[in-house]
Amino acid sequence: MSLNVRPILSALLRNRTGAVLVAMQVAIALAVLVNALYIVVQRVEKMRRPTGIDVDNIMVISSTGFTTRFQSVPTIQQDLTWLRSLPGVVAATPTSSIPLADGGNNEPLVTRPDAHRGENYNQIEIDEQGLAALGLHLVAGRNFRHDEIQPPLTTSDAARFVPQIIVGRALGERLFPGQDPVGKRVFDSLNQTATIVGVVDPVIGNFPSHEHPDWVYFAPRYPYSFTGSSIYLVRTQPGQRSALMRLVEEHLSKSNPDREIDFVRPLNYFRDLSYLGDRAMSIYLTTVLTLIVGVTCLGIFALATFNISTRTKQIGTRRAVGARRRDIVRYFLVENGLITSAGVVTGCALALAAGYWLSVEYALPRLNLYYLVSGVLLLWAIGQLAAWQPARRAAAVPPSVATRTV
Amino acid sequence: MLGYYMRLALKSFSRNPGITALMVLAIALGIAVCVMTLTVYHAMSGNPIWWKNDRLYAVTMDNWDPKQPYSKLSPTLPPPEMTYKDARALYRSDIPERKVVTYATDGVISGVGAVPSAHVRSRVTTADFFAMFEVPFLYGNAWNRNADDPAQPVIVLSRQENDKLFGGANSVGRTLRWNDHEFRVVGVIADWFPRPRFYDLNGGNFDPAEDAFLPYGWGAALELLNNEETDCWAPEKIDTFKDFMASDCIWQQMWVELPDRSSRERMQAYMDGYWAEQRKGGRFQRPRDNRLTNVANWLRDNRVVDTDNRVLVGLAFAFLAVCLINTVGLLLAKFLNGASITGVRRALGASRRQVFMQHLIEVGALSVLGAVLGLALATLGLAAVHHLYAAAHLNRPGGYQELTHFDSVGVLWAVILALVATLAAGLYPAWRVGRLPPAIYLKSQ
Repeated sequence: MSLNVRPILSALLRNRTGAVLVAMQVAIALAVLVNALYIVVQRVEKMRRPTGIDVDNIMVISSTGFTTRFQSVPTIQQDLTWLRSLPGVVAATPTSSIPLADGGNNEPLVTRPDAHRGENYNQIEIDEQGLAALGLHLVAGRNFRHDEIQPPLTTSDAARFVPQIIVGRALGERLFPGQDPVGKRVFDSLNQTATIVGVVDPVIGNFPSHEHPDWVYFAPRYPYSFTGSSIYLVRTQPGQRSALMRLVEEHLSKSNPDREIDFVRPLNYFRDLSYLGDRAMSIYLTTVLTLIVGVTCLGIFALATFNISTRTKQIGTRRAVGARRRDIVRYFLVENGLITSAGVVTGCALALAAGYWLSVEYALPRLNLYYLVSGVLLLWAIGQLAAWQPARRAAAVPPSVATRTV
Repeated sequence: MLGYYMRLALKSFSRNPGITALMVLAIALGIAVCVMTLTVYHAMSGNPIWWKNDRLYAVTMDNWDPKQPYSKLSPTLPPPEMTYKDARALYRSDIPERKVVTYATDGVISGVGAVPSAHVRSRVTTADFFAMFEVPFLYGNAWNRNADDPAQPVIVLSRQENDKLFGGANSVGRTLRWNDHEFRVVGVIADWFPRPRFYDLNGGNFDPAEDAFLPYGWGAALELLNNEETDCWAPEKIDTFKDFMASDCIWQQMWVELPDRSSRERMQAYMDGYWAEQRKGGRFQRPRDNRLTNVANWLRDNRVVDTDNRVLVGLAFAFLAVCLINTVGLLLAKFLNGASITGVRRALGASRRQVFMQHLIEVGALSVLGAVLGLALATLGLAAVHHLYAAAHLNRPGGYQELTHFDSVGVLWAVILALVATLAAGLYPAWRVGRLPPAIYLKSQ
């Protein structure tokens, strides 16, 4: 079957302004569509990746002791004893920073003494209930024992290290590629050493927005409290968190006059805040790319309708000399196809250029070509769809129109 | 004549109401998306103290690891903060008209009647902070340099904190306890919202200023840590606060006010001299990079406008382009379709120029409609974004929501964009229709 491209093309070239405009729209729409979609998919993947943490059942308690009488360690022990005695509480731990909140400590670790200080890794201080309070799963080795929990760093021994650590699987793999990290020794920048006793997976630590949020290790130590502030994580039975949060806030605010409670909040709050920018960006980009496809689609539709109404007489003449309805429909669809094709070819170049700019700007891998192919197919389909109804209307023009004057 | 063209335009709109609506909608959407992104971009990229851009300088020195730069992302920049000892050494210089060393810390205020003790975002700073950054005072004044070190028990509160503690009354002379030490209020700051919080970009860039300000000497006396960003690189044994103050860790923000070029050059020479002397002692092993950075460059170096926002501005203009190209196509089709009417007008004596003007006015009317609708959409959109952010921040100030207020900048942009739309979308179609030979369109009638 011949599509009769030649006459359609030469007719197009004679009256090209409208076609060029549609092609330009398609080109820009393709460039935006492909790149925006690529960004959205990355953001959604980031937000959806498993954290290993039972976010929905954890509350975060922050308090600050502020008088000279305030004693950090006894207070923490007293609070934990009370929290753990509550029915509905699964586990509770003191910790150095709020998980998933994009703030915390990064400390260097190396695998042999006197090695040049390498990368910093996210250090999280917890006690023996820490893994349970976070909902993390050990995949190798063991948990910390109660007698391994170190007293907090003070302003006279702030450089002290810990004898044992538990690492996230990704960090274990980073430090000891291809080996079982359990039992291996690591060193801090002062050559103090610790043994890896366990591995957890999956886990995301204090910095979900960092390049490697899973380079995490846990230290069995009460968090330092030079400033008097403490953070507790409390994991509850499903469904009991809100009720317990009220109870906890009320009790802790009164239990010790030398400290104040900064807040008792669900962990979801901090996670959502960390991902807020990604969420807003995804919503915004999705909206704009829907609009851009919609506007392009309407533009093609309106222009096709207009063109057909100005060509009524020509269509009538063709019908009178023997063209079938099908031929008329095909004429307009092929015409639209040619225009869209010109648009997507230009669009591919634009999309790649924009993708290159973005990859430099975001320091991201270059645009995946899979997206480009999908975008091309999508815009092509949309173009045909938008031209379909006007083409059918054109085919309905009766041959007798040719014999009338206007 | 203008009134007549407007009437013609209205007539023309009612001939193809669907197409007209589509064109208005396309222009409106394009303008709405641009106004939204530009409003946020403008709020984000502002220099809150532009009038002192050639006087205020952030002081930084590259004391980092000889084997790697401070930031992998910007390897050519020195660290954004200073060590305690370097800040103290440079602070001794008399070259700057004003000089500030400062950092953020946490505190709890108690001991004010029945007001419950509560956490307060605090800042320790040398006295010049208030004059240098032109902080307005509601009551009282800043402390003077003598109170810095040895530190006197004086404190400056924000208006919000003063409202909370003293019900908004003039609290100068009243006492309160900050971390269980007695302080006397010497000043209350009036409304002051530096956006971004340029003087210290280590916390939330759009967080409000702190609520309590203490003389710098309290930092060492009470062993107060920086609660925002502290970075260390050297393998040093840091057990005590004294070790920390003597370390190569960075945690102090330093600013100087230098009124002219000669003082700038002298300050630079002073820094370089100090650097050379320290280098002899084994420090500063990286290439010399002692900087005085003005506020505009400081905001740029610290990437206050994030990548997402630059991408969004690009996207908004791409979207506007699609909308305008769409409109050009539709206008062209519409004008050429109405060529027979134009033919009659030309035959009756309308000049090309008049036909051109008539059609351009029609496009202008479309753009104005589009801009009005676009402004309405942008207001709604910004309100939605504001809601999204404010809800996530539990309605406390300081997030990105601070940047989503619709303001005169939005209106200005809408007007500019409407003009751009008229010219970009209207010029070619109006010109084309003006050039049509009238005779052809009269013949078949």
